[in-house]
Amino acid sequence: MLVDRDIESDDIDTPEEDHSINAELAELTKYVSMITSTVRDMESPVTTTSDQLPQATAHLNDLAKLTEEGTHRVLTLTEAIEINRGAMHTALEQLQQKVGREYAADVKSVMDMVKADESRLTDIHVALSFQDLVAQRVAKLVTILNEVQHKLLKLVVVFGIKNKNDGSAKQDEGRGGEMLRQLEASQTTALEQDLVDDILSEFGCS
Amino acid sequence: MSLIDTSLKVLVVDDMSTMRRIVKNVLKQIGFSDMIEAENGQDGLNKLKAADAGIGLVVSDWNMPVMQGIDFLRAVRADPDLKHLPFLMVTAEAQKENIIEAVQAGVSNYVVKPFTAEALQGKLEKIFANLKAAKA
Repeated sequence: MLVDRDIESDDIDTPEEDHSINAELAELTKYVSMITSTVRDMESPVTTTSDQLPQATAHLNDLAKLTEEGTHRVLTLTEAIEINRGAMHTALEQLQQKVGREYAADVKSVMDMVKADESRLTDIHVALSFQDLVAQRVAKLVTILNEVQHKLLKLVVVFGIKNKNDGSAKQDEGRGGEMLRQLEASQTTALEQDLVDDILSEFGCS
Repeated sequence: MSLIDTSLKVLVVDDMSTMRRIVKNVLKQIGFSDMIEAENGQDGLNKLKAADAGIGLVVSDWNMPVMQGIDFLRAVRADPDLKHLPFLMVTAEAQKENIIEAVQAGVSNYVVKPFTAEALQGKLEKIFANLKAAKA
């Protein structure tokens, strides 16, 4: 039948079609080879980055904690100053009633100065709200880094990337790795001044 | 003369301890002396519902774990015993949609961080002026 003949003729590849399929296969092979090479190139940076991200996240959390501690310290001091300021204002009010007209104006001017510090102290308190904004942004960055880490780990699993511990990963750490090492060092080796003084005194340098 | 009723007990809700302390200091300067804290919306809601709460004003953050400020606000407005409480939102969320969402949820007023003491006081003045107008 004519139709069958048509189908049969479709099944038979002409030399031109053979050539075209071979060319496409060659192209595909080249492409697969390129992807394999790219994945191999990615191995080291991906494993290094996966290793660095949890540390970077921990340091960001430390940053938020440090600013929080610092802010509390400043608040404690300004609150103490405010208590003193209030007491001084009350004492000056009493003094104003006791002193004669001669000194009343002087006492009043001191009282005005003390009063002016009240709003300045409040301004300091309010200015410290920067810490909350820092903490919120850090929290957002930590969320982003956690997501990036999660995606990198997926890559590690999907492409079967394993950390060979052959030193190649270390070479790819670059500046980020060096900075992380410095942060680690500052966290683990930084001493409180009291301890530093103790050590100095042990060596007769106090 | 200020319309702010500083005799009211204030609930300050924020997950950051520094912010709670800052807001309390500003409220103290305005004249409030009776203040309690909560570290998220759920904690705040529990404190509002406590039998002896007697809270007359809520100052709350938006971004908090466990229960966000906006959900806390909705819970307050949904409770027949609490729905009339003045509720001031103090937050870094300053997108138009946030403000609209808060207004639709029934916020009394909205202060954007970083704020000034004057801004907070101004918003409280407006809240109490509106309360007075509503009562008249």
